[in-house]
Amino acid sequence: MSLRDLNRRHVRLISLYWTRYAVRSGGAIVFLMIALLFGLGVTLAMLSSIEMARQRVAADGRDMTRAEIVAVFVKSGRPIAQWALGVTPEPDQADPSQAGRQSRGGGMSIRGPSGPQADPWTTFLLDERPALLSAILLILLFGMPRLVPFIAFNQISGDAQSRGLRYVLLRTERANIFFGRFIGTTIFTVAVLAFVVATITLYLGLKIKIYPGGQLAAWGLHGFLALAILVVPYVALCSWFSASIDSPFLSLVSSSLVVSAVPLFAFFAGMKWEAAAYVKYLLPSGVQNYLLHPDLSHSLGAAAACLGYTLVFLFLGYRHFEKRDL
Amino acid sequence: MPDTIHIDGISKRFGSVQALDAVAFDVPERSIFGLLGPNGAGKTTLFSIMANFLKADAGTVEVLGLDTRRISRLQGRLTILPQDARFQRNVPILDQLVFFRLLDGSTRREAEKEVVRTLELVGLETVAQRHVGTLSHGMIKRLGISQAFLGHPEVILLDEPTSGLDPANARQIRELIKTLQERATIMVSSHNLDEIQELCDHVAILDHGKLVLAGSIDEITKAGREYNIALSRPLRDGELQALRSLDGVRAITPIAAVGHAKLGGSASYLVTLDVSGEGADMDDIVAALLRGLLDRGITPRTLTEGRSLETHFLEVTAQQS
Repeated sequence: MSLRDLNRRHVRLISLYWTRYAVRSGGAIVFLMIALLFGLGVTLAMLSSIEMARQRVAADGRDMTRAEIVAVFVKSGRPIAQWALGVTPEPDQADPSQAGRQSRGGGMSIRGPSGPQADPWTTFLLDERPALLSAILLILLFGMPRLVPFIAFNQISGDAQSRGLRYVLLRTERANIFFGRFIGTTIFTVAVLAFVVATITLYLGLKIKIYPGGQLAAWGLHGFLALAILVVPYVALCSWFSASIDSPFLSLVSSSLVVSAVPLFAFFAGMKWEAAAYVKYLLPSGVQNYLLHPDLSHSLGAAAACLGYTLVFLFLGYRHFEKRDL
Repeated sequence: MPDTIHIDGISKRFGSVQALDAVAFDVPERSIFGLLGPNGAGKTTLFSIMANFLKADAGTVEVLGLDTRRISRLQGRLTILPQDARFQRNVPILDQLVFFRLLDGSTRREAEKEVVRTLELVGLETVAQRHVGTLSHGMIKRLGISQAFLGHPEVILLDEPTSGLDPANARQIRELIKTLQERATIMVSSHNLDEIQELCDHVAILDHGKLVLAGSIDEITKAGREYNIALSRPLRDGELQALRSLDGVRAITPIAAVGHAKLGGSASYLVTLDVSGEGADMDDIVAALLRGLLDRGITPRTLTEGRSLETHFLEVTAQQS
């Protein structure tokens, strides 16, 4: 069986059936709830901090608008964003036109509109785009891949264990099952992300009212696309695990462990031994932030890398699934 | 009769266990073929390789002239009742079966009609909208059988189709299988030798992963065809010797006697016939036996087929052990 023999009708049928089945299953509801709780939790934490600051300022008798308070937050949060993005600011650089030197994380350091420690990437995220939404999106880019195993762990493993797959195996090729379920899971995951990002964007727009609606919606859409592109390789990774491990529980634990442990290991081991930091490139976590980069070529490069990861994980998973006993 | 299934040198090993060892036999078209063997003989493994669930270490299986490693080329033509496979618990039965038919190429409307008709065949039409979790073990078994009967399969593999069913349902399924023989080749694995003898015209016996015997039931049992015969009175020694000496009669063994040869009362015997000799005809041997009884004033009350297959099965598997 080669991939050229994929039956499009079967793949479509299986992905649709799988999406419907996923909606009915407990795993999908758990994923929806966790994703929503995580997204709204992050948003709520940010907005609560701003509201508390506003109340403190008001109690001190000072008069500050929400926009001014957000600006203060953005200013204090800039170093954190730079750290998260891996950008090294160069405060003594006087001439923005000479700002061509590449920083450690790939960003360029210049004197930006928000002070001497600005750089194009954080300037883009925090000054040119709605800063709060940018911060939330950065956290979601980090956190959402950790949630993907909750929806994607059981694509094959449960049915392989219960042998329920045998009813389907005689009616279609294994490739159609593998790719159909991958597509179905991806569709459901992306739909949940769309719902989460739309909810957050709407909530921000209605609650804080400091950003123009159009700008917020456009940036929300960009963020959603970044998240959607990012989760696909993680779904593919889970497809590989799920096609290799019969126990759904073990599949969940293994995929969660790998998705979480690789970036953590890269971070901590990288502090001790610089080369270990490259371990993060085993997963898309090494390129994920570039999906929100101001330079389109960087964003497209990150998207292409995610596609590459997806193809590699799918190939490994499919090859194993095609050859194994079921 | 041309062969529908051609099994050629299938071997499969699970770790240190040789589950199948160069198994080879053919299944004739429109036959009901029984696959027999003690527990762990490799029956389910063979079925699983035939359906491409398991990958053989060596050998090939051809069904309707097509290699089953490209199973989708047999789409809709080969179906199976797998052993121990579970349906999805949270999807209505109708949806699951309709999905199978959609994969087979039916339209949704055709698929729904067909599923309802097939559920009627196994008496499950009233539970179509229910979830599998609400069904009893027997109902789930019948559901599995119904999915194997979906569409117009030319080859049906049934792995222990009646295990776990009550006698009435088991009989219903056996009748259904006999009806389907008109349009399909059916392979059945079972531990129930009476059932296999009743249903099948051909058998293969596996033991410890090896093929011990394969052929038509008539061929296999011709050297030891058994009948249970009930007589109006027990046989006297002389009568027993005389009947045993008839051509084609291999043995006559008393099973039960109520009474005495001189005083009267009924008695049952197991008669073993040997029709393997040249020119031997089973009907002639039975006729000679009955004549011999009637000539001696003994009335045969019943004559039923015995467990020829079981006796033979026990013999060949004991030899293997």
